[in-house]
Amino acid sequence: MEPAEAELFRLADDELVLAERYTEWQIFAPTPESDLALANIAQDEFGHARLWYDLLEDEFGYDEADLVWERDPDDFVHSTLVELETPEGDWADTVVRGYLYDVAERLRLEALEDSSYAAIADRVAKVQGEEEYHREHAQSWLDRLTASDESRERVQAAVDRLFPHALTLFVPTEHEHDIVEAGVRTRSLAELREDWLDEVVPALESLDVEVPEPGAVVRPEPLGRDGSHTDDWFALHEEFTATYHELGFDEPAELRGENA
Amino acid sequence: MIWEVFRQEEPGDRHTHCGNVHAPDREMATLFAQVQHGRRMQTNSLWVAPKDEIGEVDADETEFGGTTDKSYRWAITYNNIDASFAEEVAESEADQEEHAEKRGGT
Repeated sequence: MEPAEAELFRLADDELVLAERYTEWQIFAPTPESDLALANIAQDEFGHARLWYDLLEDEFGYDEADLVWERDPDDFVHSTLVELETPEGDWADTVVRGYLYDVAERLRLEALEDSSYAAIADRVAKVQGEEEYHREHAQSWLDRLTASDESRERVQAAVDRLFPHALTLFVPTEHEHDIVEAGVRTRSLAELREDWLDEVVPALESLDVEVPEPGAVVRPEPLGRDGSHTDDWFALHEEFTATYHELGFDEPAELRGENA
Repeated sequence: MIWEVFRQEEPGDRHTHCGNVHAPDREMATLFAQVQHGRRMQTNSLWVAPKDEIGEVDADETEFGGTTDKSYRWAITYNNIDASFAEEVAESEADQEEHAEKRGGT
C-alpha cells in the first residue's frame, strides 16, 4: 500500500465512524439547538470522509462499495475512540470525545498542509474551515459542563473512559515510516501525540478534570489502527451497512457525482 | 433562555430578525445561531440579543400615529406630479400610499 493511500484510510475512516456516532444523537440531544449543531457537525464529518474516500477512488482505483459498504469491518483502520458506543444519554461522553478528537484532528490537518501529496494538501483547507466550528462547539460545552459538580463528574468519567482510546489515535502502523519519509505527513505520530498531550492535558486540568498519566495508561487491547476493534464497532458496522445489504444495491445511490 | 437572532445578508444591509434560539449564554447562542439561521441562507453577520432585553410596545398599548386625522403628514396631495425624475421621491410616495391604505386612511 502506498503511504498516501494508508494515510487516506486513517483520515477517512476516522471521520466516517465518528459521524455515524454523532448521528445517533439525532432527535435525542439535550435541546433542539444542540441537536441541530451536532447534526451539522456530523454532516461535516461525512463530507470530510467523502473528500478522502473520493481521493482513494480517483487515485487508487477503489470504488465506494470497496471503501464503505462491502469492506470487511476488520479492514477499517479508525481509532477505537470514534467507534465506542455512547453510554445511554451521556452528553458529556460525546462532548469529551469530540474535544479529544477535534484537537487531534487539527494537529493532523496542520501536518498535512504541506503534504508532498498535492491532492491531500489541496483539500486540507476546506476541512479545516469546518473543523474550527467543531472545536469551538466542543470547547464551549466542555467549559460549561465542568462548571458544576455533577456535570464535571460526568466529564471526569468520560475522560477516564475515553482517554486510553484517544491515545490510539496516534498508534502507528507498518506504513508510518513511509508516510513521514515520503512527506505525506510532515510530522510523525509520535510528535503529534506529544503536541496533543501538551494541549489537551493542561486544558482539561485547568477545568479541574484529572487526566490519566499517559505513560501509565493501559492501552486498550484493540488498537483500531491495525484493524482490531471493540465489539461496539462490529455492531455499528452491521447497523450502518444493513440497509445496503437489505436493498441489495449493486451500486449505492450517489449523492454527488462530482468531487465536492 | 431565548435569544433573538438577526441576520445580515451582505455587508451594509440591515440586520433583520429571523428567529430565535434557546441557549444558556451569548457564546452558545452565537454557536447555535450559526447552524440554525446562518447555514442555509446567505449570511454575512448574525446578531443575537436576549429576548428579555428587547423592549416592546404594541398596538394594544398605544395608538401608533395618534387617533385624529393626520393625513396632512402624507405628502400624497402632490401625487399629480410626475416624480419619476427622482427615484427616491417616487419610492417614498409609493411607500406612503401603501401605509395610508393599510391604516385605512385616504
